[in-house]
Amino acid sequence: MTARISSQRYAVEDFQQALELCYSRGWTDGLPVVPPTEPAVRAMLDAVGLEPDAQIAFITNRQVAITAEKVAINAVMAGCLPAHMSVVVAAIEGIADPRWGYHGPATSTGSAAVLMIVNGPIAKRLEFNSGDNLFAPGWRSNATTGRAVRLVMRNVIGTLPGRLDRGTFGHPGRYTYVMAENEGESPWTPLHVERGCRPEDSAVTVMAALAPHQFYNQLSSTAAGVLSTLCDSMRYPGQIGQPNYCVVLAGEHMRTIAADGWSKADIRKFIFEHTTNTIAHFKRTGRLPGAVKPEDETATRPLVLTPDDILVVAAGGRAGSFSCYIPGWASRTSSEAVTVVIKERSA
Amino acid sequence: MAGFEILDPTVEPRRQPLTYVPRPDSLKGKRVGLVENTKFNSDKLLQKIGEILKQEYGAAEARMWRKHNSSVPAHQEIIDDAKRTVDVVVAGIGD
Repeated sequence: MTARISSQRYAVEDFQQALELCYSRGWTDGLPVVPPTEPAVRAMLDAVGLEPDAQIAFITNRQVAITAEKVAINAVMAGCLPAHMSVVVAAIEGIADPRWGYHGPATSTGSAAVLMIVNGPIAKRLEFNSGDNLFAPGWRSNATTGRAVRLVMRNVIGTLPGRLDRGTFGHPGRYTYVMAENEGESPWTPLHVERGCRPEDSAVTVMAALAPHQFYNQLSSTAAGVLSTLCDSMRYPGQIGQPNYCVVLAGEHMRTIAADGWSKADIRKFIFEHTTNTIAHFKRTGRLPGAVKPEDETATRPLVLTPDDILVVAAGGRAGSFSCYIPGWASRTSSEAVTVVIKERSA
Repeated sequence: MAGFEILDPTVEPRRQPLTYVPRPDSLKGKRVGLVENTKFNSDKLLQKIGEILKQEYGAAEARMWRKHNSSVPAHQEIIDDAKRTVDVVVAGIGD
């Protein structure tokens, strides 16, 4: 690959000066970045077989073309290995998909982060964490791929906090929010296969997501028992008409639910049916306008439009009677989860 | 470590000219379009604005369109319809 890298170059004396330049230009997320040198950026591009000027995506409302070169520079800065580049590219394609609706989740006071769920052979090969401490620091693949996406949002698309990103609270997941599904131990169909990919595909699902909410059930030995606790936790914080929820079932709960022979479809159906709220509840708690009418006491609304809007993922530690759910951002018409096949360069 | 070069990770958005149509000197007799963004009470707020523009500023009429959701621009049908049927547009947010 010989096409020219066209980004402006800055001469620096040493690593420290490079780092301080990145800080002073506002190019970092607050943490130190790896200085993006041409050889490192070339290695990123070579790993996916893309020319520097290849367009990965176009963000309409910003009129910004995201090129492979800019993605590669930001991936280097985030600490990615060249092998991670294909995951970052796929995630960028996902958040630029009109169904994801970039402007809303990137800009809104509602403070969504980009949840990335990695499936398929690449997850194991690159050692994406799918187990203990699922959302915690310590795994390079989880830490750097999500960080690279956020740096692209910041540096390429202009999603700057306080300017075009007006999140009221922001979100710790905006540093990185990446997990893999524990396909090795899961008894269920992997998420990407449920969403139309082949089992041998690697894929990343991006969802505009709020924080994970953990729940605890150490008493139940049945699927319905465990999921009853989940539903009780999920239904009340629910906003009106969120597009997706992601339910992450960790080892103990996974085994209990699987032992009852429940599929992911069974899980989704149960959750969908047990998380409805009455219109009266929504009105009393300030989530719908108007006075409570007698018929509001029996009229109900589901948490999401259909059971398929609940993404069920097997992941998290093997021990501990905990699982979690992750609410999506806003509404179905504003943003929905998108799954993108990760295009790896054939050797 | 010897000196080296680093690459700029940012990009400038594509610049495009944006011109506003001339503002009318008066709303007297003008047809007013209201673009509602689906947030709670944005329709009520704009309806009230439409009434004020008619009663106090002499606008001839006010009509309202509803966007698909608050995070997207007004869709093409609204824009086409507004071009044909109104002289000025008020867009609002209900937050």
